[in-house]
Amino acid sequence: MFSMKKLSRRDFLKSVGLGAAGLTALDAFGGRSAEALLLKKRTEMPPWKLQYAEETPTICCYCGVGCGIIIHTRDGKVIGCQGDPDHPINQGALCPKGQAITDVSFVVAENERRHSMYERPRVRNPRRLTKVLYRAPFATEWEEKSWDWALSEIAKRVKATRDATFERTDADGVTVNRTQAISLLGSATVNTEENYLMQKMMRGIGAVHIDHCARL
Amino acid sequence: MGQYGVLVDITKCIGCRGCQVACKNWNDLPATKTTFTASRTNPPQMNFNNVTLVNFHTIEKGDKVQWRAVKMQCFHCLEPICFEACFVHAYKKTPEGAVVYFNPEICTGCRYCQLACPFLNIQLKWDEVFSRVRKCDMCYDRLVRGLKPACVATCPTGALKFGERDALLKEARERIAKNPDKYVDHIFGEKEVGGTSWLYISDVPFEELGFRTDVMHESIPKYTWKYISKAPILAVGLPILFAAFYVYTKRRAENEDGGH
Amino acid sequence: MIGANPASNHPIAFRWITKGREQKGSKLIVADPWFTQSAAMADLYVPLRPGTDTAFLNGIMNYAIQNNLFHREYVVAYTNASYIVHPDFKIEDGLFSGFLESGKYDTSTWQYTGEKDPTLQHPNCVFQILKRHLSRYDIKTVSEITGAPADVYEEVCKLYCSTGKPDRVGNAIYCMGLTQHTHGTQNVRALAMLQLLLGNVGLPGGGVNAERGESNVQGACDIGVLFHVLPGYNPVPSAKAHPTWAAYREKTTPSTGYWVNRPKFLVSMLKAWYGEHATGENDFCYDFLPKTAADHSHVSTFQDMTKGVVKGMFAWGQNPVVGGPSAVQAREAMKNLEWLVCVDLFETETAAFWKAPGADPAKIATEVFLLPAACSYEKEGSITNSGRWIQWRWQAVEPPGEARSDLWIADRLFKAIRKEYQENGGVFPDPILKMKWDYGEAECDVVKVALEINGYEVATGAPVQSFTKLADDGSTACGDWLYSGYYNDVHNPPCKRRDNVDPSGLACFHRWAFSWPANRRILYNRCSVDPSGRPWHPERALFRWNGTGWVKNDVPDFNAKLPPVETADKAFIMLPEGQARLFAPGVKDGPVPEHYEPVESPVGNRMSGQQHNPLAVLWKGSIFDKYAPAESADFPYVATTFRLPEHYQTGGVTRNQPYLVELAPEMFVMISKTLAEKLGLKSGDWVRVATARSEFKAKVAVSSLVRPLTVQGRKIEMVCIPWHWGFQGLATGAIGNDLTPAAGDPNTRIPEYKAFLCNVHKV
Repeated sequence: MFSMKKLSRRDFLKSVGLGAAGLTALDAFGGRSAEALLLKKRTEMPPWKLQYAEETPTICCYCGVGCGIIIHTRDGKVIGCQGDPDHPINQGALCPKGQAITDVSFVVAENERRHSMYERPRVRNPRRLTKVLYRAPFATEWEEKSWDWALSEIAKRVKATRDATFERTDADGVTVNRTQAISLLGSATVNTEENYLMQKMMRGIGAVHIDHCARL
Repeated sequence: MGQYGVLVDITKCIGCRGCQVACKNWNDLPATKTTFTASRTNPPQMNFNNVTLVNFHTIEKGDKVQWRAVKMQCFHCLEPICFEACFVHAYKKTPEGAVVYFNPEICTGCRYCQLACPFLNIQLKWDEVFSRVRKCDMCYDRLVRGLKPACVATCPTGALKFGERDALLKEARERIAKNPDKYVDHIFGEKEVGGTSWLYISDVPFEELGFRTDVMHESIPKYTWKYISKAPILAVGLPILFAAFYVYTKRRAENEDGGH
Repeated sequence: MIGANPASNHPIAFRWITKGREQKGSKLIVADPWFTQSAAMADLYVPLRPGTDTAFLNGIMNYAIQNNLFHREYVVAYTNASYIVHPDFKIEDGLFSGFLESGKYDTSTWQYTGEKDPTLQHPNCVFQILKRHLSRYDIKTVSEITGAPADVYEEVCKLYCSTGKPDRVGNAIYCMGLTQHTHGTQNVRALAMLQLLLGNVGLPGGGVNAERGESNVQGACDIGVLFHVLPGYNPVPSAKAHPTWAAYREKTTPSTGYWVNRPKFLVSMLKAWYGEHATGENDFCYDFLPKTAADHSHVSTFQDMTKGVVKGMFAWGQNPVVGGPSAVQAREAMKNLEWLVCVDLFETETAAFWKAPGADPAKIATEVFLLPAACSYEKEGSITNSGRWIQWRWQAVEPPGEARSDLWIADRLFKAIRKEYQENGGVFPDPILKMKWDYGEAECDVVKVALEINGYEVATGAPVQSFTKLADDGSTACGDWLYSGYYNDVHNPPCKRRDNVDPSGLACFHRWAFSWPANRRILYNRCSVDPSGRPWHPERALFRWNGTGWVKNDVPDFNAKLPPVETADKAFIMLPEGQARLFAPGVKDGPVPEHYEPVESPVGNRMSGQQHNPLAVLWKGSIFDKYAPAESADFPYVATTFRLPEHYQTGGVTRNQPYLVELAPEMFVMISKTLAEKLGLKSGDWVRVATARSEFKAKVAVSSLVRPLTVQGRKIEMVCIPWHWGFQGLATGAIGNDLTPAAGDPNTRIPEYKAFLCNVHKV
C-alpha cells in the first residue's frame, strides 16, 4: 500500500522530451536517408541506458529549494538520475549537487570496461559506512561491532549518565525532570519523521541540550 | 524537418556546472583526479572522461568586472572534419544533427580526427597509443528517443536550449535584435566552419571567452576538397596513404587481439 | 537579493529569477561583499562591507519614507505604524530606553499605549518614531559605513522603492549573509520592515524569502529539534517562567491572535507522547517535559562540555567539528565528553575528532560510537523545503551493508533505553516507561510516525483532518499541530500528491504535496488585497471580494466567512495585535534596527558610541572567549565565509562524492588583486590565515571578483573563506570555521560567521 511510486516511462518521456509527436517523427526517419543506413548497419537504435530501469521519485537532499529527482535503478543498483520533469519547482532541471546525488550510494567505477550496454560500470561508494564502528577510550583505531552490541552499550551509557545527573527539582523547588548532561545535535537533512522521533526520545529521557544547525 | 541543435545563451549561464555532472552521470563517466585552479574551471581541460567542460572567464573593463561561464563540448559541425578525416568511417553525421562516433569497433585510434578538429573537442586517452575516441554525441541515445541531451535537460536557467537548428538560429537573431545593447552581434556557430549544430550568443566578444573565431567560414571538408582537387596527385595519393596506414594498423590490431 | 547567492547555492531558485526577468521584465539587484555568481547576473550590483546590512537596509527605508515612496494604504491597514508608543520611549547614542546594568533591556517603555493614529502624525506613533530614527541613515552616511558607492546605492534605493507602488511587487531574498551576525535578527527585521513599508508582504511574487540552506532545516525547526521550541513552535518550558502547566498556559497563551489555541496544540502533543497516562488530572504529564535551566544552544552546549556538565552527545547527521564556530575550541571541548554517538553516511570529522591533526588519541578518553545511516533515497519519509512544502521521498535502493535508516536507529535506540529501565529500574523512569512508543514491534513503520505527527482522534485513532479539529481536553493527539493535514488520509496522504496543475497561474500548486499550515501557499495573504477586498494588482489576484463572498486562489490566512471589513485589521493572525510590527516590542536588542559594527570590526561605529550590539552574546570566560578588538592592528583584514555550488555545508557528504570532488578538489581562500600585490602573492601560493581563534594554511585564489571597499576614507581589504573542507573524506583541506568567532546574536545565538578580522601571510 505504501510502496514506491513508480512513474511509467511514457509519462516520463512525455514531459522531459519533445512530446509524443516529436518521438514519432524522430523514429520515422530512422531508415530514410542513406546516412541513416550506415547507422542501421550497426544497430537499429543506439542502446538504451534505462532499459528495464525503475524510476523512483525523491526530493533532493541538499539545499532547501526542494527539487524533485528521479533515481534510476536496475537490479538494486543506482545507474543514474534525472531532474523530475513533473516537479513544479525544478521542472526537470538540476544543479551539480542534485545531479551528483547518485554518488552518495553508487559511483562510476574507474575501470570503464563493460561487457554490455545493459551493465553499467557502477559500484557502491567505497567510502560509505557499512558497519557499526566503535572507538574505545584512548584507542587509535576503530573496531567493527554489531548493532545489538552498540545499541545496548549506548543505552547503558545513556542510563548511567542520566541517572547520575538527573534533576527532579531545581534549587527553587520547581519540578524540572531534566538532565543537562546529554546533548542532541539533530539534523537538517534527515526526514521530519526521523527528527520527530529523535527529539521525542531525547525529551523523553529529559535532555535539554537539543539543537541543530539552523542556529549556525 | 531540420537538424537539431542547442542554443547556448552565455548571458543566462550561472556557471553551476550541473551540465558537466549530468553529462558524466548519463554517460557513466568516472570522476578524474583534479587539483586547485584559480579560475575554478576543473578539470582545466576536457579529457577522455570529461567531454563537456564549463570554462570560467573573468573579464575586466576598467572598474567593471564580468564573470562568465562557457560550456564547451563538440560543436557538431554541419560538415564535420572529423568525419572527413576518418578513413574507416567511424564517424557519422546523423540526420538529427549529432555527430556521432558510432563505430568504435573499426576505429584504429589514429588520432587524425583529434588533430583535424579545429576546436580540440575530441578526446582520446593519452596514455594509450591506439585509444578509442570519446566526444560529445549530443546524447544521441536520448535524442532518437525524443529526449533532450542530458546537459540541456538539467540546465537550471535555460541557458541551454534544445530545438531545431533553424528555429534556434531565428531565436538567437531575435534575442540579439531585442537587446542590441546587451549582446554582441555574432552568433557563434552560424557560419564558423560552415556552421555548427551548437550555437552561442554572448554579451562578451567571443575571442575573450576562449572561442576560436579565426576559423574559416566555409566548411573545412569543402575547403580541403577545393585544395585537393587542384593537386590530383594528393587526391589520389592521400587515400592510398590512408589505406596503407589502415591495413598496417588493422593488422597490428589483429595481432594484438591474437596475443590475448 | 542581500546576503544570498542563489546562483551558487540554490541554482534552481535562480531558474525562477531568470524566468521573472525574461517574462515579466523584473530587475535583479544584488548586494554582496564580493562579486558572486549571482552578482554576475544582476542588473544592478552594489558591494557592501560585511556586517553593515542594517545600515544598508535602514537607508533604503529612509529613502522610501523621505521621498514618500512607501505604500501608505498598506502600511496603515496592515502594520502597527499607527500605534502610539509609551511616551518615555527613547533612542539615545545607540541605546534604547530601559538599558539595565545587567546588559539587558527593561522593555516597559517599548510598549503600546493602546491608542492609534491612522493619520500617522502623532509624534509618538510607530511611524514617526521610525521616521525620526531612520532619518540618520541618509545616502552619504550609509555609503560611508558600508563602502557602497553613493551613486550606486542611490540607484538601488530608487529602483527598489519603485516597488512601493500598489500595483508593483518586490521580492526580498536573503540567506546566511544576513543572519550570521551578532545583529542578525535586526538585519532580517530591517528587510522585513522594508518589505512592509513597500507593501510587498503577503502577495504572490513578494515576501521576505530565506533561502534555506538544507533540504530539511525547515522541517527540523518545525518539529522542534531546537532547545527553545517544542514541535510546532510552542516554547520549551523553562523552570523559571513555566514551573507548572497553569503557568505555561497563562504565559504562553495570548488573549487575541491564533495562538489563543496554544493549549489545544500542547495538550494534543502531550497526548501523543504520553497516551493514556496523560490525563486532565495530571496536567497531561506536563511535569514530564524537561524544563530548561538556561541557554542550551549550540555554543553553550560546547561550553558546558568544558565545564563537565555535558558528558554525552549525539551528533546525528551533523558535523559540528567543521560546521560550528571556533571549531578548534569545539574540538578541545569535545575531549571532555565521556561518550559520543555519531550517526552518519561517512566517517565525518566529528566522529573522527580524536584523530584530528594535532590531537593525541592516547590522551582522549571519549568513547565514540559511529552508526552507519541510510541516505535520502535508501529510506522513506518527508522533508520540508524553504516554501514549507512537505514532500515525500520514496525508497529507491537498499542501504549498503548494515547501514540503517535514522528512523530505525532512533526506534531501536529508544527501545534499548526503555529495556534498560524496565529491567534495571533507575532514577525516575516514568517519562521513559510511560512514553507512547508503538511504531511496530520489530520494524518501525514510518507511516505510523507520520500519522502521529499529523494527529488523530484518541477514541477512534482516525487521523484529524486539520489542526482546527484539535482539542485541549485530551480527546485528540497530535505530534505537531502545524503538520496536521499532511498525512490525514492513509491511502492518499496530501504530502504524496503529485498533480502539478496551477489553475490560477500564481504558482500555488495546491495539489502538489502539502504546505503547512493547512496547505496555504502564501502566508499573510490577506495583504494581497486592499482592506476592501480588491486585489492590489488584477493579474496577481489571490483573492477578490465579489460583494457577497471571497473568490479564492489560495487557502485564506484569515476568516473567509467574514466580509473584508472585519478582517482588514487582522491580516497577521499569529500576532496578538493582528498587524505586522514595524516596531517590535518583543525583540531583545531593540524594537527598531540600529546599526552596530560586528564584534570584530576594522572601524569604529560611525552612528553611536555602541561599537557592537550591546546585547551580543560573548561567551566570556570560556575557551570561546577569543575576540580581536575593533580596529585591531594584528588582524587588519575583514574575513567572511561563503559556500560553493559544488559542496554542501561541511562537505561531510559531498567531499566523499567523486563527481563533486572533481569539480572543487581543494580548499582555498580568495583575495583581491590589490591585497595580493601588497603581500606578493599569486594564485596557487600557500598562505597562512590567522584570527584571534586560530590559523590555518590554504592555497590562495587571487581574483578580480573581490575588491577592497572604501570605508570612512580607508581601503578595507577582504578575505573570503569557503568552509566545506576538513581532514576526512576524499578531498581534505583546512577547516574554515577554525577561524570564525563564537559571538552570538542575542535573539537566536547564531554565530558571527560573516564578518570577523584576520591576517594573511605568505608561507
